[in-house]
Amino acid sequence: MATLWRLSALCGSREGRALFLRTPVVRPALVSAFLQDRPAQGWCGTQHIHLSPSHCSGSKAASLHWTGERVVSVLLLGLIPAAYLNPCSAMDYSLVATLTLHSHWGIGQVVTDYVHGDAVQKAAKTGLLVLSAFTFAGLCYFNYHDVGICKAVEALTF
Amino acid sequence: MAALLLRHVGRHCLRARLSPQLCIRNWSLPMAMSICHRGTGIALSAGVSLFGLSALLVPGSFESHLEFVKSLCLGPALIHTAKFALVFPLMYHTWNGIRHLMWDLGKGLTISQLHQSGVAVLVLTVLSSVGLAAM
Repeated sequence: MATLWRLSALCGSREGRALFLRTPVVRPALVSAFLQDRPAQGWCGTQHIHLSPSHCSGSKAASLHWTGERVVSVLLLGLIPAAYLNPCSAMDYSLVATLTLHSHWGIGQVVTDYVHGDAVQKAAKTGLLVLSAFTFAGLCYFNYHDVGICKAVEALTF
Repeated sequence: MAALLLRHVGRHCLRARLSPQLCIRNWSLPMAMSICHRGTGIALSAGVSLFGLSALLVPGSFESHLEFVKSLCLGPALIHTAKFALVFPLMYHTWNGIRHLMWDLGKGLTISQLHQSGVAVLVLTVLSSVGLAAM
């Protein structure tokens, strides 16, 4: 996906520029300003972040990813009080799945922002995927063979 | 003192040819809170990954590790402080996360609202962290 970004940006295509539409909303203020201040990198799209959506078809995948991130965030927000009120095995696994996905996507954004270069970014994303997979496996193992997340947090109130 | 620190940071910025965000004299609250949101997110992810990986790699159950910590007979002040240190980044990230979701809905985007919601998040973070650490 990062390659697609770069290709579109270098070609100056509208689709590429549309991807940056989400920059003002999603990125922290620091990074948005950071991107605007580096014009001489071949990223011809970065300066133009105020295009109207009606002119660009945009990438469905990027838009869906953004929406997916918000959905998972809201889900996680709802799961925390739910887990407190109704601790059970199903809650343990839902919490683990939502937490690892939210964390994976979050760190993915950090990698996209700070890791430049096609090969390096791909390597970083692969490393992140491996880490997230092991984290998910470890937490599932904890839920299955040990007390589980809900009981563990409860036990911490000593 | 702050001016000396900024000058040092500024020199580093210029040498590393970074954009001048870190060198400008006036940091703003939204800017600092944004960086902290990212920082707490990264820290929390690292903690969760560490927990997951140690469940796979470190021998012994959760209960045995908890018993070990209890057997150290650490003072209640130290335990309270440790709990506060654990729960503070989580609370900050949660409350600021809600603030981010509000922005995604298009609400509260004026500068004054930004500052007000920012202060509200900080107050809520401290209060909820103290409350949870006391449990």
